[in-house]
Amino acid sequence: MQQVKKKKMGANSSLVFNNKMYFFLIPALTMFLVFWIYPVLQLFYYSITDFNGVNYNFDFVGMKNYAKVLSNGTLTNSMKNTLIYAVVTVVLSNVIGLTVAMILNTKIRWKGIFRTCAYFPALFSAIVIGFIWSYVYMPSSGMIASLITMIGGNGAAFNPLGNHNVALYAIAIVEVWKAFGTTMIIYLAGLQTIDESLLEAGRIDGCTEWQLIRKIKLPLISSTITINVILAVISGLKAFDYSFIMTNGGPGKATKTLMFQVYQTAFNDMKMGRASAFSVLAFAFIIAITIIMLLFMNKREEEL
Amino acid sequence: MAMKKRKGNREAESYMKMSPKAFALYAVIIIFCIIVISPLVIVFSSSLRTPGNQTSPLKLFIEFSGLSYMQAFKNMNYPMQLINSIMTTGGSVLLIIIFATMAAYPIGRIKTKLAKFLYYFFISGLIIPSQMVIVPIAQTLSRMGIPNTRFTPMIMFITCSLPFSVFLFSGFMKGVPVEIEESAFIDGASLAKRFSTIVFPLLQPAIISCVITQGLWIWNDYFYPMVFISKKAQYSLPVGMLQFLGDKENPAQWNVLFAACVLCALPLIIVFLTLQKQFVNGIAAGAVKG
Repeated sequence: MQQVKKKKMGANSSLVFNNKMYFFLIPALTMFLVFWIYPVLQLFYYSITDFNGVNYNFDFVGMKNYAKVLSNGTLTNSMKNTLIYAVVTVVLSNVIGLTVAMILNTKIRWKGIFRTCAYFPALFSAIVIGFIWSYVYMPSSGMIASLITMIGGNGAAFNPLGNHNVALYAIAIVEVWKAFGTTMIIYLAGLQTIDESLLEAGRIDGCTEWQLIRKIKLPLISSTITINVILAVISGLKAFDYSFIMTNGGPGKATKTLMFQVYQTAFNDMKMGRASAFSVLAFAFIIAITIIMLLFMNKREEEL
Repeated sequence: MAMKKRKGNREAESYMKMSPKAFALYAVIIIFCIIVISPLVIVFSSSLRTPGNQTSPLKLFIEFSGLSYMQAFKNMNYPMQLINSIMTTGGSVLLIIIFATMAAYPIGRIKTKLAKFLYYFFISGLIIPSQMVIVPIAQTLSRMGIPNTRFTPMIMFITCSLPFSVFLFSGFMKGVPVEIEESAFIDGASLAKRFSTIVFPLLQPAIISCVITQGLWIWNDYFYPMVFISKKAQYSLPVGMLQFLGDKENPAQWNVLFAACVLCALPLIIVFLTLQKQFVNGIAAGAVKG
């Protein structure tokens, strides 16, 4: 009887690993709750006030902040921008990372040098990368513009960060440049776990190189693909750095991502209440995308 | 294992024969690497010029001078910022390892729904962006009476790193055999003793992975120091770079700006080049085994 009851409650019956172990959780759990979970809950509270960050005599304004955020179009614009940014970075960093990893997994010379080159950008701080790429993208005297001029084109007209339609893609490329090296290293580790004899068997059966990749390699590294895609989506949805450093959200609002909009509303406009309402909605969006992605990746992994 | 290793060595020695296909592969990877690395080469070559030299940065290595570096060094207050960076990164990583291994111990060992819930609870923290919660966090800190010093960002570095680190260590905990602990239990070892003498040392590969992945983002992070630190003497290297924000549009300032960029990245480059193998293995292990 007692045993049945114990099982029902999901209690721990192990002698060696007893419940005293939970004491080990105290430091981490305390920090996690106080500085990570509690602030998220506070957002709900601030979101119905007109708090400005300084004056604590704020009033409750009900759903006004939400109404404002939904009606002035900032939310839909930054959701769209964040989604485009995330899709571009996820697809490109994974495709490039996987391709380079596959090339480096062949019997190629100077493997170490190529790997170092590809991984090198990942060492730099986002702020340094922002400076370097501001130079690369600069009209007329920047790196790409000078190259265009050198081969006889019009370098002065090249201004990706000043163009509504391409600015977002331009900063997404910067993120890809920084991120694909890490992705590549993870893929390389995944590819190295593939048993050579399976590929040999495939070759004997007359598989083409593409069939080997599609039918043997990709299915065998499906869990690596999953982890890389998940990591890339999570960091893509947090997009902030290059909008902040390189474009300041512009031109217009073309590179305003969710997190840039939150930061700007809170620190430049000093509207903490509205920023909180915005955060709550942005968070719901991030959770929704993450859940959809997890479901999709699970299904995909079974298919492969 | 030994056999596998020997086989690996032999394979590494027999490189690809030069065929048209191999040639194409080399061409693709070499061109790709040149494109990836070219902005960095240009930045490095420009940083070696005198501050006033305004010839096109595309003309590589036409002048060698340390003047831009000296100016950047002075503007940044480099030694101070370097020490701040080392202190905050080192301190944060040390505490993360202690807290996260401790948290992962019950989560990885106890087989109940509560432990499973805690595991997912910590991982779910991964999706929360810093910018979103920064305002309530700043309020909480000020209400708790924690002043803005160079150590305030450390609180957030540690908290932010917990989800991934707990995930990493819980994953590796499965690889630490239960039997050793069981026999230690029979010999009368306490929980704390078992943790510190058996489990912690056996987690070493995960610890290296944690130091590298978490150390890398903490060293490079400018956001928390930017929000929490107001005194210039307490800046870390990345946040010190913010003072150059206005210079990026001005070609006349580029040489000094680029020298500052190199100086900012230099410590990490040196660490990477000396510990390259640990770096690569650590990053891969974090994602593949975790």
